[in-house]
Amino acid sequence: MDRRDFLKTAGGTLLAGTSCAYAFRFLTSAGWASADIPSSGKKWGMIVDLTKCREGCTACMDACRHENNVAHFGDERWDIHWIKKVKVESQVGHKTMEKNVMLLCNHCDNPPCAQVCPVQATYKRDDGIVIIDHHRCIGCRYCMIACPYNARQFNFRDNEEWPNKDRPKRSHGVAESCTLCAHRLDVSRMPACVEACEQVGAGALLVGDINDPDSNISKIVTTGAVKRIREDLGTEPKVYYIGL
Amino acid sequence: MKFDSIKGDSAQYRMLMIVFAAMAVAGVGSTWWAIEKGLWVTGMYNRVPWGLQIVMAVYYIGLSAGSLVISGLYGVFGKQEYKPFARIAVYVATLFLIAGLLSILTDQGRMDRVFVEPFVYFNLQSMFSINPILYIGHILICIVYLWALFYEKKTLTKVIATLAFGWAFCVHTGTGAIFGFGARVLYESPLLPAAFVAAAMASGTALMIVLIVGLFRFTKRHLDDELIVWLGRFLAICVIVVLYFLFVENAYRAYVVELRPAAIYYLFGGFHSVLFWIGLILVGLVTPLLILFRKTTGQSVPWIVFASCLVIFGILCERYVIVLPGLTHGSEIFPGMHITQSVVEEGIASYDISYVEVLQALGVFGVVAFMFGWGLKYLKLLPSEARVLHSSSTSDSAGNKT
Ligand code: SF4
Ligand code: SF4
Repeated sequence: MDRRDFLKTAGGTLLAGTSCAYAFRFLTSAGWASADIPSSGKKWGMIVDLTKCREGCTACMDACRHENNVAHFGDERWDIHWIKKVKVESQVGHKTMEKNVMLLCNHCDNPPCAQVCPVQATYKRDDGIVIIDHHRCIGCRYCMIACPYNARQFNFRDNEEWPNKDRPKRSHGVAESCTLCAHRLDVSRMPACVEACEQVGAGALLVGDINDPDSNISKIVTTGAVKRIREDLGTEPKVYYIGL
Repeated sequence: MKFDSIKGDSAQYRMLMIVFAAMAVAGVGSTWWAIEKGLWVTGMYNRVPWGLQIVMAVYYIGLSAGSLVISGLYGVFGKQEYKPFARIAVYVATLFLIAGLLSILTDQGRMDRVFVEPFVYFNLQSMFSINPILYIGHILICIVYLWALFYEKKTLTKVIATLAFGWAFCVHTGTGAIFGFGARVLYESPLLPAAFVAAAMASGTALMIVLIVGLFRFTKRHLDDELIVWLGRFLAICVIVVLYFLFVENAYRAYVVELRPAAIYYLFGGFHSVLFWIGLILVGLVTPLLILFRKTTGQSVPWIVFASCLVIFGILCERYVIVLPGLTHGSEIFPGMHITQSVVEEGIASYDISYVEVLQALGVFGVVAFMFGWGLKYLKLLPSEARVLHSSSTSDSAGNKT
């Protein structure tokens, strides 16, 4: 191959590649606007009442794992947690205060994860839920870097377990995080964690429509007795804590 | 001036090409393994989701942007005496950009989707969306640039060289922005994109010095020392700028109370601090600077080459200490409080480079090194000689002529 041929082939391949990609974009632009987003006028939010959360109880985490086939390998490096419980210690005067805090995706109004996703696989639905399209995610993990709450997890390994056959089996190579059980909310059921928490009689979790002034969640949020994590970041989280 | 290729029939050439090919095969193998088994075999995990491949990607992209600057000496600034290096510089710039793209590609969870999705669902707000456009543009520009150089198109060379020069800045600013615009304490910094450009120029210049001297010596071509001495001085300036940015960045973090714990972690917190102080500051920047500024060593080509090797190593350390401490340090979810118990690793996380990652990195290097060797043999990249123009007294004043 001489120089001329080489340059022609190299340039041609690149040009062809890029133009194909763009042609494809135009052809598929209908799917671009995420047609699956229901426009309900709702905005889902969650209340976590830490004063009601029970020491040692893992009902919500277990329920989430089972409902969404969230991977568990028994290795803290690669285990996935859509919702997790941490113990937080703080010093108030001479006293050391300890609290159990549930952490999950905050479904931010300004989600940095969606801002950085290079393929718009992470997006915010009209009803406020931040969700990942697993068929589009390229697995770059930029969203994990961007989320200030460490809510994003990545399927580094294949998950062999598949307890809930109604939900997709998780495969490696894509990011995931709490979906607020959007598949349940869409059919007017409460998220698995909320249900489980109620079943054990704690009732520490509440999910509702913040846009509806008569909803329980709106009534609690508007009392001003709630806190959000890292409000200073401007992400506008939609998970509110009582007793944080 | 005449350009030609090397014969490439010596035993050493063949040996080297076989070694490079073997590295490439090892890289393909380890990448296949990571695709099959999932990325966990690379040792990355949920607290440290980026590893060596990202370090290498930004490093290569820096080398690429930097070497393009050398070709710009002739193309943009019309410094005739640097014309002999223009072709090789652009070729190297193209190859290292390919290396950067390969590193990024092999790091994705779903490599199969990388070719279509980012272009179809382009996200104007994402640095990861903007950068591929910059990279592809960079490669296209390099190809046209090479073509213009090969066919001695004077005006086109000038135009495309200027474009390439500016583009190289954008490319590296963009790459820096991936981190600098990020929400992590040790990433977030408006200085980072500019610091990235400086580091790129330093490493790219150093690389070109090593390559040029090596190639000219091995193929027994004439090379005027003065040309390398001038490049050495240019390198020294780049190194000073890199040091300056590092100083400002770290001084700021150490000064602001809120950021101080992070600064202490960065400067004294573990393996990366050793890389920072020994690898980057001492070996990679200060020592080369001393070499380049001392009268005797600064004029000696072997010493300049040695200093360049140190810079190339130093900037690799720099890339590591940008990417990884920012991840292992983690984000502050509860400022002023501690997480004492959790189901995952909280606080400072750990990271070790794994064999799979090393093989992948070697593989990428093998691919471009092989292409480099191939190019030397089949493309007319090397000039017959490189001399200081004698019509003028110093090499600097020759720059005004075209
Ligand atoms: S908590 Fe993290 S993952 Fe959830 S919406 Fe906010 S940034 Fe995204
Ligand atoms: S890992 Fe997936 S969802 Fe996250 S930023 Fe990358 S492509 Fe988007």
